[in-house]
Amino acid sequence: MALKIGIDVGGTFTDFVVTRDGEEPAIFKSLSTPSDPSIAVVNGLTDIAAAQNPPMSLEAFAPTIDTIVHGTTVTTNATLTHTGAKSALLTTEGVRDALEMRRGIREEQYNNRYANVKPLVPRYLRAGIKGRLDRAGREVAPLDLAQVREAIALFKQENVSAVSICFMNSFANPAHEQAAAEIVKKEMPGAYLSVSTDLLPSIRFYERISTTALNSYVGPKLNHYLDQLVGRLKGIGFKGLLLIMQSNGGVISPQLAREKAALTLLSGPAGGPGAGLFYVRPHGQDKCITTDMGGTSFEASVAVGSPMIKNDGEIARHKIALPMLDIHTIGAGGGSIGWLDEGGLLRMGPQSAGADPGPACYGKGGTLPATTDANVVLGYLDPNYFAGGRMKLDVAAARQAIETHIAKPMGLSIEEAAAGMYRVACNNMAQGVREVTIKRGFDPREFPFIPAGGAGPIHSCLICEELEIPFQIVPRESSVLCAFGMLMSELKHDFVRTFVARLEAIDWPRLTKMLDEMSAEGTRQLTEERIPEARRRHDIKFDCRYIKQYHEVSFLVPRALIDKRDVAAIARLFHDEHNRLYGYSLEQENAPIEVINVRVQSVGITDKPSYREEDWAGADAEKAIKGRRNVYIPETKTFREVPVYDGHRMRHGNRIEGPAMIEQETTAIFVSDSFDCVVDALGSFALFRKGREDLCRSGFSPTTATEPSTVSG
Amino acid sequence: MSAKIDPILLSVYARTFKSITDEMSISMEQTTRSPILCEAKDYVTGLYDGEGNMLEQTENLPILAFSLAPVCKYIRQYFGDDLHPGDVIFHNDVFSLGNQNNDVAVYKPIFHGGQLVAWTAVKGHQADIGGNVRGGYNPNAVEVWQEALRIPPVKVVEKGKLRKDVWNLIFANIRLDIVQHDMKAEMGACTVGERRLLELLDKYGLESYEAHKQALFEATRKMMEAEIAKIPNGKYSGEGYIYYDGRHEGSKFTIRVDIEVKDKHIKFDYSRTDAQTNGFVNGTFTSSASATILTLLQMVNPDIPHNEGMVQPIEIVIPEGTVLNAAYPKATTFGNHLCPPNADAIQRALSAVMPDRVTAGWNNLLCSLTTGTDPERAEQYVDIGFMGLKGGSGAMLGMDGYDHIGMIDASGGVLDQDYEMFEQQTPHRLLKHELLADSAGAGEWRGGLGVETIFEIGSEDTQLVTFGDGDFEPAFGLFGGKDAGLNFIRLHYPDGSTVVPKNKDLITGVPKGTVYHQVASGGGGYGDPKKRDRKVLAEEIRNGVISKEAAMRDYGMSETELQ
Repeated sequence: MALKIGIDVGGTFTDFVVTRDGEEPAIFKSLSTPSDPSIAVVNGLTDIAAAQNPPMSLEAFAPTIDTIVHGTTVTTNATLTHTGAKSALLTTEGVRDALEMRRGIREEQYNNRYANVKPLVPRYLRAGIKGRLDRAGREVAPLDLAQVREAIALFKQENVSAVSICFMNSFANPAHEQAAAEIVKKEMPGAYLSVSTDLLPSIRFYERISTTALNSYVGPKLNHYLDQLVGRLKGIGFKGLLLIMQSNGGVISPQLAREKAALTLLSGPAGGPGAGLFYVRPHGQDKCITTDMGGTSFEASVAVGSPMIKNDGEIARHKIALPMLDIHTIGAGGGSIGWLDEGGLLRMGPQSAGADPGPACYGKGGTLPATTDANVVLGYLDPNYFAGGRMKLDVAAARQAIETHIAKPMGLSIEEAAAGMYRVACNNMAQGVREVTIKRGFDPREFPFIPAGGAGPIHSCLICEELEIPFQIVPRESSVLCAFGMLMSELKHDFVRTFVARLEAIDWPRLTKMLDEMSAEGTRQLTEERIPEARRRHDIKFDCRYIKQYHEVSFLVPRALIDKRDVAAIARLFHDEHNRLYGYSLEQENAPIEVINVRVQSVGITDKPSYREEDWAGADAEKAIKGRRNVYIPETKTFREVPVYDGHRMRHGNRIEGPAMIEQETTAIFVSDSFDCVVDALGSFALFRKGREDLCRSGFSPTTATEPSTVSG
Repeated sequence: MSAKIDPILLSVYARTFKSITDEMSISMEQTTRSPILCEAKDYVTGLYDGEGNMLEQTENLPILAFSLAPVCKYIRQYFGDDLHPGDVIFHNDVFSLGNQNNDVAVYKPIFHGGQLVAWTAVKGHQADIGGNVRGGYNPNAVEVWQEALRIPPVKVVEKGKLRKDVWNLIFANIRLDIVQHDMKAEMGACTVGERRLLELLDKYGLESYEAHKQALFEATRKMMEAEIAKIPNGKYSGEGYIYYDGRHEGSKFTIRVDIEVKDKHIKFDYSRTDAQTNGFVNGTFTSSASATILTLLQMVNPDIPHNEGMVQPIEIVIPEGTVLNAAYPKATTFGNHLCPPNADAIQRALSAVMPDRVTAGWNNLLCSLTTGTDPERAEQYVDIGFMGLKGGSGAMLGMDGYDHIGMIDASGGVLDQDYEMFEQQTPHRLLKHELLADSAGAGEWRGGLGVETIFEIGSEDTQLVTFGDGDFEPAFGLFGGKDAGLNFIRLHYPDGSTVVPKNKDLITGVPKGTVYHQVASGGGGYGDPKKRDRKVLAEEIRNGVISKEAAMRDYGMSETELQ
């Protein structure tokens, strides 16, 4: 009867998913409280307690919670809004501007009004210190400790609350950084300290210094927030395990999150991709495209066995080289505004009406036409059942906005204009999906598509049409997918060391020692997090490239191959991965392979909610029909009356033919003319291209031959 | 051409064309081996219709991009009916509209239902292209054959079959093996684009594609015309200067542009420009015309799609035999780098009528390339000093220049080496790479700051090639804004002597331990420096990018204000 709660703090709503073994998950939402997000957490828990049968007080309920997994946007927002800590930097003399210059990029080449980003540390707080290591980590000049002290005196005088340390070539020898760190710890005991080699001991100076400075920038804020959260949870009597979602799709203890705050920069959406894997499993699949359509942004990511990871992310134009989920974000959402460019072409976004004033149909004073307005005109949203009827939508305002700004200038009817907005928005999102599939060497047609977010499943049929994807799965929890995914996450700790060598000439004892050190550190952290040995795993990855290439390919290497020193087998793994990503390998040419970094990810397997499969209720969905209404059918470009199903009353096995609408309190699903739908064993709506029943391994009969249902990865 | 235009589908076409060339670009970035391609992104990708009209481009280095469409049209004519599915064509020849010898392009005709309907093309700066000097920059060249292997349009793949004889002929004349790999990467990217375009054609049909393509050109042309119409009608003239041709000490050449704006049409006439040089400092028509277009594009709405419609309202006249359009068989390798003085001429000409759109002068390119043998690793290295060359951009009305952006023909599209990768790949040790205080032209809006680069050379018998300018004339200020500083490169030898290479030079035998010192200075300022926001200025003094002396001298700060 383990009680677990996933909590995802968003811009407008804080989402909760409550699971108990063998029960259907329950969904709650509370209004976010940006000034102190932990208030919304407690408000939500109060609602959840009251909704128990029989209702409970918060104080009685809180001690019964076993685990809370929490995703936070505190660090993300601090970076995006430039409200992080006043921090300082100790770096090598002569290179203190690397952080600000960002290798000299201007992202918009033709735009002379495009300014550089404000540096995370102002120049006068970036101190260049004498002392130098060469490329192999050998000391050329000793660290000038007096200069370090001088810099610290300035930092103190300036009331700096965080200090970063990043020296040239420290990836090869951390001694200078450690010496400087000792002084900082002694002289500024209250300051938040980030040392580059603790965070990311790998080559590439700009990546490392940027990551380190980001950590200091967000560290104090995250600490403050965790103080508030832990304090409030303690105050209501919570005694269970609190875990924080990281950008890499794993979870971490609050203590480690405090030290390595930059690990949480993508905490919010990181639950999604793992959750996607959970829902495709009944269909015998272990890969999927997960998308999340919110008010202003659309996120897409791919998972194959486990979610895709990248080591070269960016936030607000700052590089972050810690492993994070490869989630691509574009400015497309329900609030995206439609407009005509100077050539008269229809565009959607990236400007967004946000939540306030929001789309015109919200009736909060917005007059510009947004995606949601088009959805209202096209019949996809029932103006009387938005958010389960808690908010009435103003159809006339939506029509007015579209008429004024789109239909009239283009010489179209309001319906035609709305259909155009819908189509352009879907096209934009399809291009976003291409970024994480085709760009990474994946064919999107081979992946089940998971649309999350309240408005996602309205658009997914047309997105899938663009990409020729024949199979979609809409989970019942699709509106809170990330919160749900957090409950499915493992504890994960990433380690990296730069290890430059030709593959055929590796110093094996040195490599093994390095791997063992990293694994030992992972073991130490997992032990602190009370993970028993049987549930620990250490995955090894190499970053390799063909000699003279500039970009490395990261791939898993089984420990057995390293112990056998099986160079041929490791090379084969690299050739295969290179071929998959870029369409060729140089195996025939016998091109030498270079190792640049070695990585270890230490994984601690957490307890997952076990999930009861629904009993099969037969194909007939007739009794779930709650009405009929006119909706736009993209295939024929006409309106047609279609049945509207109550999603909450549909059961495992229920089958319907498109076109149709399915409504739940927090989600509307449009099944287009090209798709049919069946409810699978997990209660998800599986949409398959007409005639492709073969894609659904769950839904057409009571027996399903699948594993029950936890995600590893 | 009777298909009805669906205004919504038009947006879909435009967005898809863009994503096709972007995808081709990603393919190049991930598969090429020469650092100038994968690290600095000195390549472009494009999509053209059956006649060679531009549908879309991804222009990491715009100076290359705008030469693709003219060559595509040329190749279409050159082969006439002899074009077939599966053909792949190479081209670099500057006397058939190429822009620079090292910029070697791949063109692939695309057929749908047996009809030639489009082309994909990729052009990248290859690490070597034969000729007298490794890497291609030969300041002593006077004819094209001393610079490079000429490749007029040639089919290296015909009807899907590789012509091994042609392939071997070409690569027998090029020094480095990685060029073969990188040309394969260009071919691969063309195939990536072809697949995507064919998917689009299968979905919507040829008739729809042709009609919407025309409509897209129309819409874009209207956007461009609307921008030009904002410029008052009239004739405007400006000059830009080139210092030293690599052979004749003290030589100087003037670019003269006469710009005529008539309603929705703009004409750039370079007829009064100086005659060509007897060195390698000469432009080709396409490199010079690209420079003109990219400078104009920085003055208009940056959202205008890049297709044939955009260039239709622009007329460019560059007589053959001028320094911007050398006659056969003159040497031209330096031609791309005439973009900065060309841009200067245009900014100066239009500053009076577009004071809110022009910028003050940008820092001119001065670049070096070191080659030698890493003593510790016994390996040859070649390093193009990207980090050292990137100075500041010119300020504009209401906007400071961009610090450390580099030459205007890349506008921040070319990146520094990472410092630690630099020390892995060369034997050099970096001593300094920082913004240079007071390097920017003062102004109400100041120029972008330049950078100072110092490293210790780690190989004996090192060879150094320099190419560039900006050591005679600084980036100019506008409307009371001040000029910036000058570029330089200096070599401090271990024996205490100092060598200052000319701005186009070849120095050999540089010993280990020599200290290389370079300044790429700032951009010009805009408006009266005394009007600069005092709060901003105080911040800049605190951050050490403007000295107290300069604040008093250039910005008129008083002693009391300084407290």
